[in-house]
Amino acid sequence: MPEIRTGNELMTESAVASINFREAALKLLPEGANFEACLTCGLCSSGCPASGLENMDPRKFIRMALLGMDEELSSTPWIWCCTLCKRCQYVCPMNIDVSQLVYLARGNWPEDKKPSGIVRSCQLTRSSDSTSAMGMPPADFVSVVEEVLQEVRATQLAFRQLQAPIDKKGAHFFVNQNSREPMNEPEEMVPLWKIFDVVGADWTYASKGWAAENFCMFSGNEEAWREVIRKRVDAVNELGCEVWLNTECGHSYYSMWHGIERFGLQANFRLESIVTYYAQWIREGKLPVNSRWNANGIKFTVQDPCMIVRKAYGDAIAEDMRFVVRTLVGEENFVDMQPNRSANYCCGGGGGFLQAGMTDHRRAYGKRKFDQIAATGAAYVLAPCHNCHSQMHDIGHFYGGHYGVVHLWTLICLSLGILGKNERIYLGPELRG
Amino acid sequence: MSSGATTLETEVLIIGGGVTGTGIMRDLALRGIHSLLIDKRDLCAGASGGNHGLLHSGGRYVSTDPAAAMECRQENALLKRLAPQCIETAGGLFVAVEGDDPAFAEKFPALCRNAGIDCEELSPGEARRLEPVLSDKLFKACRVPDATIDPFHLALLNVDHARLINGSVYRPHTEVLRFEMADGEIRAAICHDHLHNRPLTIRARQFVNAGGAWAMNVARLAACADVHLLYAKGTILVSSDRLAHHVVNRLRPPGDGDILVPGGTVSLLGTTSTRVDDLENVSPVAEEIDRNIREGAAMIPALAGARYIRAFSRVRPLLQAAGNASDRAASRGFALLDHATQGIGNFCTITGGKLTTFRLMAEKTADLVAGRLGNGEACTTATVPLPDDEACSWTEPGTALKHWHRDSDPDDMILCECEMLPQSAIEQVFAGSPGIEQERTLQAVALRTRAGKGPCQGSFCGIRITSWLYDQGCYRDATGLAHLRDFFDERFKGQRSVIWGQQAAQMELAEALHCGLLGLDTLEGDR
Repeated sequence: MPEIRTGNELMTESAVASINFREAALKLLPEGANFEACLTCGLCSSGCPASGLENMDPRKFIRMALLGMDEELSSTPWIWCCTLCKRCQYVCPMNIDVSQLVYLARGNWPEDKKPSGIVRSCQLTRSSDSTSAMGMPPADFVSVVEEVLQEVRATQLAFRQLQAPIDKKGAHFFVNQNSREPMNEPEEMVPLWKIFDVVGADWTYASKGWAAENFCMFSGNEEAWREVIRKRVDAVNELGCEVWLNTECGHSYYSMWHGIERFGLQANFRLESIVTYYAQWIREGKLPVNSRWNANGIKFTVQDPCMIVRKAYGDAIAEDMRFVVRTLVGEENFVDMQPNRSANYCCGGGGGFLQAGMTDHRRAYGKRKFDQIAATGAAYVLAPCHNCHSQMHDIGHFYGGHYGVVHLWTLICLSLGILGKNERIYLGPELRG
Repeated sequence: MSSGATTLETEVLIIGGGVTGTGIMRDLALRGIHSLLIDKRDLCAGASGGNHGLLHSGGRYVSTDPAAAMECRQENALLKRLAPQCIETAGGLFVAVEGDDPAFAEKFPALCRNAGIDCEELSPGEARRLEPVLSDKLFKACRVPDATIDPFHLALLNVDHARLINGSVYRPHTEVLRFEMADGEIRAAICHDHLHNRPLTIRARQFVNAGGAWAMNVARLAACADVHLLYAKGTILVSSDRLAHHVVNRLRPPGDGDILVPGGTVSLLGTTSTRVDDLENVSPVAEEIDRNIREGAAMIPALAGARYIRAFSRVRPLLQAAGNASDRAASRGFALLDHATQGIGNFCTITGGKLTTFRLMAEKTADLVAGRLGNGEACTTATVPLPDDEACSWTEPGTALKHWHRDSDPDDMILCECEMLPQSAIEQVFAGSPGIEQERTLQAVALRTRAGKGPCQGSFCGIRITSWLYDQGCYRDATGLAHLRDFFDERFKGQRSVIWGQQAAQMELAEALHCGLLGLDTLEGDR
């Protein structure tokens, strides 16, 4: 487990150089939404699950910056508890973006002081052309996909012709993949392939730049973030795909979408989220899902990943997701968390928190999400994001919850009656079939 | 104490709890003389609490009043040595910009040298490197040893020290109504104790009128007609954060909007000067704000667009040359009147002057009073350091921050977010800040801490501190709500002239809290 020192220890070591946050804010934040616009109303802090961790909160961050406490801000480990979810900015009446300064502070920490889990994940991401945070090289990815595909073809009669193309030039969709699946639970890739098969999508994986994760962004390492995104952009451009399709992973979308703009990269393709396509394919009748399988009225809620909802698409994608989920589970079986959509709370899995080694802090952060989920009474949370997935799974276990966490792809295939037996690891016994 | 007529006795009654009154209290105590200090409100309620907090290098007076300049220079050096806990040695710049008189700017360094004031001439480039906010139209800059001083901290420590030395007493909210006279002497001050709403008689051997702008009124209660004051209203703006590290003065003869002084985490821009007749109801008006900003922006263009969180006005007493006030005294900007010509042998009035020279004013007054009491002890305030007491330090911007971060105790609730004031700070104030033993109220806490001084101007901390005071049993009935309303009223007086831009949003929020949430606008009871 990586070591995180407390602020006090850090101060005596004074290993972190001091940032002049007030000046930095003047450069980074727009006029009128700068720190000096702060009304100290505390909406940010009262709605921040990281409030209280390390005795900090977003309002304190702003006040400390304005009061010149640069040394303390530069060294507070709280910057690794903030998940950069931007809810503070969303609710701020003056639209002040604290996360940019937190990001700056992260980048300012010497590499050897940063949470080693995040740093290692970034190093692994840069270790091969895969850009995989778990360090899976291209050849391994290709062979895992090939093995899983052969197995499905061999064992599931309906999918004897299933395709999982790799490096197919000119395919419409360039599909990315979170490394967790090929590394740890390869059968979880299959539902997605089946969905593509059902809708007849023209898609491909790539041996280069296929992975989704980007812990370089979370480490505050601007150059590394750029390098990773550049590799991925080059990979998509090379294959000449029209759409880079982000599968159910939150920060991969944000880091790519924002990264392209931030670094001025030339992308000859559109960026889309799979959630948008689920909704579109259902509307078009290509994905004939329904909720008849849920005759027993199992309740579901959804987690709006910060990275694709509040930080990227806004409420539009949250509406698409609700359309998909309502169709899948039945209107009466869907219970929203409160608050939701762009105002949803981060679960605490974002920003690299899961990899930061601050388990107690992360779970304290997640308590708010746990309570939110518990209040819905739902048996399952649907989450199109891997970090959300892991965190909600962990806090559910830790706080004694009884809910499951599943990807949308699992339920889509379940509804279509094409979910294989070994593709049900996140389902409870009542749905294992 | 009985509920009937209460009488207190002391050697010296000092009327007026400004820095001068508190300085006299300490000076007398160091000479072994017991005193009672009263104020009809609380410490620094007049000009002492309504100024820039500038510790003059003397540079400002080199052209108009070299004697005052030298006095400032001496007191500046002395206070930096003896009361460093109240002072930030920010350093000062005098800057001339396009349109200012080059001849005046040219002779300034020589004038400083004549007054013994260190003055380092800087190139415009050097000055702008020191203070990047300075105008690019700058053509001359000089560095002088200006500093800033927290008058509240200073007054609290003066009282604290006097109390420690010989049990001298400070009583806030005690107003003199009349004097009991006999045989050419004042025998007693007949006062009203506003806190307990009852009369109070104070007997003393000597009576000192340190009423500042109110000195003429107090003198008249003793039928002394030799105090002649004119009143000048000054208005100062407070920005939401600190714009410059140094004190920045305009290098030209004194005028409106010619100085920007850091106040810890904010900057103070001033001052206008307008003659007024009324002492009680002075508030900033938009025209004064505009004038300060227009003039200030010539030195520092950012002042035109800065966010201001409040403004305040105070009345400065100006001495009118009359009676037997000597020219020498007038030139120094303060007057000590022994009232001998008025037929009273145990009464004196000290007025005028400035924050920087308060110690000297106190020394002269205490010399007179001690002499009259037959006390031969010499003044020691020029050599004895002002003892520190953390309970008095909470008026300093930054104290709360350091404390909060050092202790990092999640159970120590922050009551004021703007200034990061934790509840433990108020507990400490309760334990030892002078005057607080008389009244554990929101106003008394606010005076002794930074509460209410940040951008929200008390919107949140007012509510939190009042709630906390209720929790502590300091309030038991609707009094706390009335205090809360009065506190917001007072803050609003300072805000209404700067409500534009971001501060307008702040005011909307304040209104929602004060009226919408708390319904303070419909609170019953007297204002």
